[in-house]
Amino acid sequence: MADNTSMSVEETLAACRRLDGGDAGASAVSMNQEAGPESAAAPQPVEIKPESSTEPSVGVASSTKGMSVAEILAAARREKSGESQSAPAPKVSSASPQATPAAGKPGEMSVADILAAARGKKTAAPAPAKPVAKAEAAAKPKPVAKESVSKGPSSPAALDTQSILSAARKSGKLGPMSKEEAKSKGVVTERGGKTAVAEKAAKPVKQKLEAPPMPDKPMYARRGDQMAATPAEQTRRSFFSSAVGVFFGSSLAVGFTMLTLTNVLWLLGLARFMFPNILTEPPTRFKVGFPDDFAPGQVETKFIPQFGVWIVRYQYEGQPQIFALKSVCTHLGCTPNWLDAEQKFKCPCHGSGFYKDGINFEGPAPRPLERYAIRIADDGQLEVDKSQTFQEELGAWANPASFVPA
Amino acid sequence: MHGDYSVFLDRMSGFLGGYYLVLALMNAVAAFYLWESGKAKTIFRLGRFPVTTALLWLIVSGVFIVIAPIALGGGAGLLRLPRAVEEGVNRFMDPTVYTLGSLVILAILFVFRRFFVQPTVAWIMLNLSLLVMGLSMTNPSFADIVTKPDNVPIVAMVYLLSFFTWLSAYRAVQNDDRARRGEPPLEALENEKVLVWPDLVYIELICMVALTAVMIVWAVALQAPLEEPASSVKTPNPSKAPWYFLGLQEMLVYYDPWMAGVVLPSLVVFGLMAIPYLDFNKQGNGYYTIEQRKFAYVTFQFGFLVLWVTLIVMGTFLRGPNWNFFGPYEIWDTHKVEALNNIDLSEYFWIYMLGMGRPRAPEGAGELTKLGYILLREAPGILLVLFYLVAVPPILAATVMRKFFVRMGFIRFMVLANLLLFMAMLPIKMLFRWTVNLKYFIAIPEYFLNF
Repeated sequence: MADNTSMSVEETLAACRRLDGGDAGASAVSMNQEAGPESAAAPQPVEIKPESSTEPSVGVASSTKGMSVAEILAAARREKSGESQSAPAPKVSSASPQATPAAGKPGEMSVADILAAARGKKTAAPAPAKPVAKAEAAAKPKPVAKESVSKGPSSPAALDTQSILSAARKSGKLGPMSKEEAKSKGVVTERGGKTAVAEKAAKPVKQKLEAPPMPDKPMYARRGDQMAATPAEQTRRSFFSSAVGVFFGSSLAVGFTMLTLTNVLWLLGLARFMFPNILTEPPTRFKVGFPDDFAPGQVETKFIPQFGVWIVRYQYEGQPQIFALKSVCTHLGCTPNWLDAEQKFKCPCHGSGFYKDGINFEGPAPRPLERYAIRIADDGQLEVDKSQTFQEELGAWANPASFVPA
Repeated sequence: MHGDYSVFLDRMSGFLGGYYLVLALMNAVAAFYLWESGKAKTIFRLGRFPVTTALLWLIVSGVFIVIAPIALGGGAGLLRLPRAVEEGVNRFMDPTVYTLGSLVILAILFVFRRFFVQPTVAWIMLNLSLLVMGLSMTNPSFADIVTKPDNVPIVAMVYLLSFFTWLSAYRAVQNDDRARRGEPPLEALENEKVLVWPDLVYIELICMVALTAVMIVWAVALQAPLEEPASSVKTPNPSKAPWYFLGLQEMLVYYDPWMAGVVLPSLVVFGLMAIPYLDFNKQGNGYYTIEQRKFAYVTFQFGFLVLWVTLIVMGTFLRGPNWNFFGPYEIWDTHKVEALNNIDLSEYFWIYMLGMGRPRAPEGAGELTKLGYILLREAPGILLVLFYLVAVPPILAATVMRKFFVRMGFIRFMVLANLLLFMAMLPIKMLFRWTVNLKYFIAIPEYFLNF
């Protein structure tokens, strides 16, 4: 590798690719197979016979050929002019050994041969032959440009190659690559990475070399901000956006306005729904009969289904009273049952129990049942008013509106 | 009454016959499996003839085959638990015995898990529980509750949950043994990958078909549990929540709605969410283990099995009209009288201990004065709760949970300690309710604040 007349594998490859033109994909594949360690297992072309599986086949090939790089390149140039136009397009998609195109033909050099020769030229020691497995991960769209930065022996022969390469690059095909191509390029990248370690000595020289300029991006491939940078684009774009604002934006505004209006109308309708024309609920004030209708100690349950109220004639703090108990458990709002045998209200949900006067005593209910307002109406009947409640724990049961003395 | 009972037995005989046949089949399959796979263990030797577990299950299967025609042929009345046992269970069963008993049984199962997870022992327990279940089905009260369309799936789920708890403990015990010997857990050996297609998709397909079949059988066999039209002034008695909320409903018996219905369930959710942030034990990732995660295992199983599942079972099967507690063989009598005179802590303190009335604001006092009197009245409860939530965590950190405090740091430990204390509040309150009829530690109904 220290040989400064040598050139890297990828350079040669790139050169070959340009020279071959349409043949590029397949030749790269064939190179890949022959140069990699797998090549030992794969069927070999006639001209290339590796001595062992560990030693790269390229070394052998070069020894048999014994051509200088310049010769190889010259040969390649000749091939290009003579052959590449008429060469049949190989099966690019196939990665099998059969895809190696011209390897078997005597007299003609396949790209792989050229590559092998080139590599053999510079490899006094066998080239590192590991990385094919990783190659796929490294497949990137622009390996050639990168390679050209990191390459570059300074010998005249190498410079010659360089110029050929750049020329080839310009005349070679641009644009999208096939997968196979990208893959093979990736392989090349990987190899270049490996050899670069060995070429450390040549590094300062490499720095001077410049990558050939990339072609301009076509219009369709540019990003939005790059496009906007050109004034012509700007005006067109702003015109377009203003057009959007006028046509689409106004319809959007109209649409949202209509939506808002509809929602407001809908909400108003909902509000109207809260005030029905006919109210089927029982009135909150109702008469339950004369005080004498209730025997002392009686709990009247017949108003429960319609009004949800017990009329109780009992005593509270020693005073005989008639009062109306609200039939809602103070724990979680179930309707307790009046159990006559046990003389208590009992809630079926969590077992809260209340004495006859409404005071809680069992279960989780934290406070007594509530009372509704009750009074003696003008006609002498008891009248319950459900709009007002009295809570014992707040001392409201002392309020004369909460009971009728009996 | 006697005539009713014979009618009831006629109705049950068909079911029980099939039930015992299924048990016989179940044991026969187990015997065949053990014999076929060569996994049968020799229990003892009769002369030179080994009595294996396979033979044992074959005999059990034979016994069930004999029982099945008895049940079918009108002899179901014979197949019942002794009357004395049923009455004894009814008499001794109350919420305290039930909950503490469940806790003790689960604790025994946990401590002696090495014994109970053995497949033979587990199979014996399954057989016994199914046998007791079958014998109990001839009791009308028991059968009435268990065969309610609402409750049948819950019975199935109790068995399902038992199975999965056993399975996890079984594998955990194996893994713990392996860990002691320095071997990797069983799950590390089963690292074979299977394919989505066809393995997973086929399994899913089979599950789908099986589930559909079960649903169809269920829908045909059990009537939909429809009730009378809803009425705002008539609550069914007993009024039960959906089965999965019966644990919550049981909690509501002991706490105010905002506490049992809002705070505690939220804390359950937040506590579960906090587990990854509180857990500093990196072991037990990806395999069953108990030894390596004892605290996590015990805490979770206590919260889930004791505070959730047993409460659901209690709410489903043991809570009857008026939310009274009924033994499993007891008739659900609406007029069952239970003395449950509940008393607040403030009453205990001021009236029973100090022998004076509870502090009361004088008539016509201002709001602030009233509030002061309320706070004075509830001072014992407030101080107690403050002590519980503020003083207990540092005490825990200094004593039994010292290692946790060191590992977790102040904030994480305080979060953990408070979550644990809130979890423990439920059983503590339940015990106080059952033993001394304590209603609330802090009872301020004036501001709807009860604790």
